[in-house]
Amino acid sequence: MSDAPFVSVRGLQKHFGGIQALKGVDLDIFPGEVHGLVGANGAGKSTLIKVLAGVERPDSGSLLIDGVEVQLSGSQQAADLGLSFIHQELNLVPCWNALENIMLGAPKRTHLGVIDWQAIRNQVQPVADKVGIHFPLNVPIARLSPAEKWLISICRALVRKARLISMDEPTASLSIRESENLFRIVRALAGEGVAVLYVSHRLDELMALCPRVTAFRDGRRVMHSERNALTRKQLLEAIVGGEAPVSANNPIQYDNLRPPLLRVSGLVSGNSIRGVSFDLQQGEVLGLAGLVGSGRTELVRVIFGADQPDSGTMMFADRAYAPRSPADAVNFGVGLVPEERRAEGLFTGKSLAFNLALANLRDLRIKPWLPLLDVRRRADIAREIGSRLQVKASSIGTIVDRLSGGNQQKVVIGKWLVRTPKLLILDEPSRGVDVGARGEIHRIIRELAVQGMSVIVISSESEELPALCDRVLVMAEGKIVRELRGSTITRDAIVHASYHHNASAA
Amino acid sequence: MARRVSKNRIVLSLLAKYGTIFGLFIMAGIFSVLAPNAFPTFGNFLNVLNQASLSMIIAGGLTVAVVVGELDLSIGFAASYAGVLVTGLIANQGLPVLLAIVLVLGCGGLIGVVNGLIVTKVRVNSVIATLGIGTIVVGLNFAYSTGAPIVAGVPDAFTQIALGRIWGVPNDVLITAVLVAGLWILVERTPVGQSIQAVGANPVAARLCGIRVDRIKILGFTIAGVCAALTGILLASSLGSGTTGAGDSYLLAAFAAVFLGSATLRDGEFHILGTCIGVLIIAVGFNGLAIFGAATFYQYLFQGVILILAVGLSSLSRYFAEK
Repeated sequence: MSDAPFVSVRGLQKHFGGIQALKGVDLDIFPGEVHGLVGANGAGKSTLIKVLAGVERPDSGSLLIDGVEVQLSGSQQAADLGLSFIHQELNLVPCWNALENIMLGAPKRTHLGVIDWQAIRNQVQPVADKVGIHFPLNVPIARLSPAEKWLISICRALVRKARLISMDEPTASLSIRESENLFRIVRALAGEGVAVLYVSHRLDELMALCPRVTAFRDGRRVMHSERNALTRKQLLEAIVGGEAPVSANNPIQYDNLRPPLLRVSGLVSGNSIRGVSFDLQQGEVLGLAGLVGSGRTELVRVIFGADQPDSGTMMFADRAYAPRSPADAVNFGVGLVPEERRAEGLFTGKSLAFNLALANLRDLRIKPWLPLLDVRRRADIAREIGSRLQVKASSIGTIVDRLSGGNQQKVVIGKWLVRTPKLLILDEPSRGVDVGARGEIHRIIRELAVQGMSVIVISSESEELPALCDRVLVMAEGKIVRELRGSTITRDAIVHASYHHNASAA
Repeated sequence: MARRVSKNRIVLSLLAKYGTIFGLFIMAGIFSVLAPNAFPTFGNFLNVLNQASLSMIIAGGLTVAVVVGELDLSIGFAASYAGVLVTGLIANQGLPVLLAIVLVLGCGGLIGVVNGLIVTKVRVNSVIATLGIGTIVVGLNFAYSTGAPIVAGVPDAFTQIALGRIWGVPNDVLITAVLVAGLWILVERTPVGQSIQAVGANPVAARLCGIRVDRIKILGFTIAGVCAALTGILLASSLGSGTTGAGDSYLLAAFAAVFLGSATLRDGEFHILGTCIGVLIIAVGFNGLAIFGAATFYQYLFQGVILILAVGLSSLSRYFAEK
């Protein structure tokens, strides 16, 4: 490790709409250093990386490469400066082979204007050997395992002469042995003077691999420490902060005499759900917590009939429940507000009234025997839901694209409220929603529960669930690892359980 | 300055929405001035509608398919097959006219169902699937007719369907009016129509709303197939014969009308009313060209130019209006 930092960030600020994602961040990354970066979702890690990658421009603050201030105008310039970024999704072209992916976007050697793949292969092969690629480079990417794809991505960075490689959650989909292999390669890279910015939720990994760790919380750097001066507890506190938990305002009375609305037993689906059992009471707000990849989203997809489980059974309102499609689930009285609002929940280009009517088309017939749409009732319902959820729109004919994120989210939730399902599942209901709208959405959820609807809320934001839920199930690696009730639901407890499961298991 | 910009914006967004309708009226106005004795007459008005009606039926069906977000390239071939089949069943197999028509309409629906099943269950892109099925339909057509037109033995009862008039209005026009009204109600004013629009707007969200997306898509193809068959039947009726390639050219005309229509009233969205305008623009243009005795090739030049011009201008003005 040398004395002068390769990358220096000073006083970086960046806001998106009303949200200050980075509130003046400093960071130094030295050549040959494996630098750990940690923080809860929304702490500002990804924003920092986007700024370094030249994808987002900071509002203020400076970025120095080798001590020289630079203004990044785009990702190409960042790449030319030796900054390389491997995202969790890897961004590889599935139908191309390994070599083509490694050379994607890189200048290629040509012979008479034709790409000279043989020369390129000769040039890439030593690099591939170095990162431990033991398979031929003409294999299509789609046939490779996640671990092998990571090696391809690292190789791609090295071919482009990267001096800093940022890795986002590299071990999220790797086995223990594959992870250890990756650590070996990361250490070897560092030995050759390449800096690695290692972003991970897995504290044990960070402690083992990174000589220095930086923690972000709410857009600030809250800790910057040498490894040997650091305990796991300190790291956790830095991530979580010392905020007092807020408990749900209308806690449900658990009544063991009443049968549960939903009973899930022994659910298994591939590698993502590995034996999940739980009961859901009527009128209960149940939180599902856990890190990305813990199986939360997969679990609710099975409950909603979007995926089929390998084994396990479900009961819904005392009936056997095995939905083969979302339409089946809707008929049982289940609604879903999906995570990707625009892609999976909203009908863009269509009006507010159109969007709100879609989950209730059967009830909007003029007469039960006459399949004509009752346009007036549709308008009444749209107005009623609009005012109940306080959707800010000029009229029910407003195209939903013109609404703010929070109001769009209310529309996506609102379409389920017309027929009042027995169970409403919300996946990340306040993602991309500003603070005010978030409060309103929480208020709506609590009201629905008081009226007897059961609600399952998935959230990555650990402060969201304590304020909202009667009970929280923490998931990790496809299993429920902790159940929290009432006053034991705290941000601390959720984060502890999310991170701690493998430590306690080991 | 700021006011001027917003004024330009209003003009541009008006142009994007109503440009095609303006175009239709301007065209009709020009023809009326240039040919005051031939163009703006009630007789010619009915004539235009009559010429437009077959295109309107097939384009109306295609509109439903594109509203669910798929393309159907088999409709022209399905129309040709329907014409051959209906005349053949009546003239060669001796089936009653009504029964033959019902069978052939069902056959068109079946072609649509097969298209839909291949797109939704086998997951073949709709362009490829309908091209393949369309080609198979051409094969079936030749297999049935051996390529020779079916002329002999077509009874008046069948030819009178297209040629007859009620209160002076051609039957084709009446049938088309009823069908278009039905399609409009279906798409715009029924719960199924809302599902059709939802599937086209966002299939993932539609599925997560509990809409059975595959069924809706199959329905869209089926409607397109039935409408294509109806066009083929009426064409055969008006020609008095079944010819293997008679309906093929309706494919391009239908697509032109549907895309012209998407540039009308709504921002780039397909809808039945828009398709009506699109069909009328092409029919009025052809009619005017015919009145002035223009050679046939002008019709094709006109159709191509008007399509590019209308859709291009509409999308450009929308782009600048939003900028």
